[in-house]
Amino acid sequence: MRVLVVDDQPLNCILLKTMLEQQHYEVVIANDGAQALEILSKSEIDIVLLDVIMPVMNGFEAAPKIKDFAGDVYMPIIFITTLEDHTSFEKCLAVGGDDFIHKPFDKVILSAKIRAHARTRRLSLEANQQKKQLEYHYNQIEREHEIVEHIFSNALDQSSKYQEYCDYHLSPASMFNGDMFLMAKSPMGGFYCLLGDFTGHGLAAAVGALPASRIFYAMVSKGMAVNDIAYELNQVLNSLLPSNMFCAAAIVELSESGKSLSVWLGGLPDLYLINEAGDIVETLESQHMALGILDSDEFERNTIHLEVDTSQRLLMATDGIIETENKQGEMFGEQRLIQALKSTSHVSTERIVQHTQRFSEHSAQQDDLSIAIINCLPGKVIAKPPVEYSSLPFELGVNIDEKNIASADPILELVDVLSKVKGIGEHRSNIFLLLSEAYNNAVDHGVLGLDSDIKNKEDGFFEFYQLRASALDKLQSALIEVNVKYSPQAGTLNFSISDFGEGFRPKLNQNQDTGLQQEHGRGLRLLKEIAKEVYFNSSGNEVTIIYSLQ
Amino acid sequence: MSLSKNASADGKTLTIQIRGKFDFNLVQSFRQAYADVGSQTQKVVVDLRETDYMDSSALGMLLNMKKTLSDSVETIQISNCRPQLKKILQISRFDKKFDID
Repeated sequence: MRVLVVDDQPLNCILLKTMLEQQHYEVVIANDGAQALEILSKSEIDIVLLDVIMPVMNGFEAAPKIKDFAGDVYMPIIFITTLEDHTSFEKCLAVGGDDFIHKPFDKVILSAKIRAHARTRRLSLEANQQKKQLEYHYNQIEREHEIVEHIFSNALDQSSKYQEYCDYHLSPASMFNGDMFLMAKSPMGGFYCLLGDFTGHGLAAAVGALPASRIFYAMVSKGMAVNDIAYELNQVLNSLLPSNMFCAAAIVELSESGKSLSVWLGGLPDLYLINEAGDIVETLESQHMALGILDSDEFERNTIHLEVDTSQRLLMATDGIIETENKQGEMFGEQRLIQALKSTSHVSTERIVQHTQRFSEHSAQQDDLSIAIINCLPGKVIAKPPVEYSSLPFELGVNIDEKNIASADPILELVDVLSKVKGIGEHRSNIFLLLSEAYNNAVDHGVLGLDSDIKNKEDGFFEFYQLRASALDKLQSALIEVNVKYSPQAGTLNFSISDFGEGFRPKLNQNQDTGLQQEHGRGLRLLKEIAKEVYFNSSGNEVTIIYSLQ
Repeated sequence: MSLSKNASADGKTLTIQIRGKFDFNLVQSFRQAYADVGSQTQKVVVDLRETDYMDSSALGMLLNMKKTLSDSVETIQISNCRPQLKKILQISRFDKKFDID
């Protein structure tokens, strides 16, 4: 502790300095108020002993300035005085003095007073230090929350894109929501949503929503099934979350036609399929454990399938709804929820939430509360941006020998290669069909000489493929040539497939009306429909297909 | 190329999902997938969401399934087809025989 002695009389200064240094205090001397302030501004001082009557700046003048300088931290000022009257004491206290010592100095009293004030000073310093730390941490948390909030709002973007499909209400108990509600559409036009409830609430509960949302959006964009999405989410959450944390969830897919629902349900309260009046058509009970608990090999994929119509709606909610308590500690419960659904025709989530609020008499919300109602509507086809095609023409020849015919999957490989060309990938299913039909025709009839009529017999379909497999095993030498020509200007892909075999006459016209009954011929008809032109050479062992990319 | 099957929670729906390529290479496993369909199963869903490729042999396999199951199962649904595959089914008039969703 450093003590500043402010006195214009050198004798007093020396006396006090000696006494204090014996007590192991550091002592600094100033001869008037102005000097004292200068020292304060330059060095650390803990206690000020201040004379009243001094030249330049006296003690009464200096005291308030010293207090100002000290700011929030307690800086004890002990007046050195010979005065004994009450008015002088009051004056000393009024300008900020904390105590007095009288001349002549009593060593015991001086040391007792210094020690007492030093203790207070130390406590004040500590308190101030802690306050600064608290402020620092508070600011840091504020800043971090802002950043995290920003990330969350971007990651869980709840845009109004899906208003027609869904009416939802989310109200977190704190800044961050431990419930998540995600919606997305697949490329096939199906509508997906996920309602999840992580253990607890607040930021700790909300962090899991980030990886979960990424997985959900990525898998929906590939049009995956709800149980595959659940499997993946379970795996990731199981590895990320601490073992006491998990996520109760419902993952719903409404098919593009709006006629069927697939639901994977783990750990959430019952879902209700309701009609316009709010009557329950079907209750969907949770089938599985929440996500993030089971190891992948224990995970259960079973889903619930429902046939629905456009007047029906699916209600899903986290336990925050049924577990809302009133002041008597009673829960809102399923029965009140079921009643609320019937309270008006085409009930809204807003209205259900109002019911719970009225029930709880508007007391503070204890848990995150989320509710959503899905309208079972058919999807609208999302207009695709126009496809851009490579401007580079090319020709490609593939010779497929007996080894590759017997053991490889040359058409799939060829389609994979062609799909890499800009724009052509969009047509890969059609290209596969064309090449597969022509190639298998060449293998079955040109190379192996099999008779498709076998397929028309009872169980002939399997017999045919068994015959084919054993014929392939015995295949000695064969060659099928596939040529591909891409003409970007014409916007066409030309394929020619020849088998150098005996050829055949396509019975195309005969089969046109009996296509469904006849086990063969269907392939050629498909080929004709998908391609722009199909023709055989005169011997029937080479087929040329022109496919239009437009 | 793979095939997986899954019974729904209530056992009434069997879903057969085909990934990648649907053609005669699956002839055995596809037949096995519905071979043990019991009286409890009311509906079979062939889920083509992850099917990229299909040819006429797949159509034949679907018709075979229809023949085998027509007495025991109420509906056979072909669901989540990509547009090009849906067109193949339509050209082949499968929409008359199957519930294409």
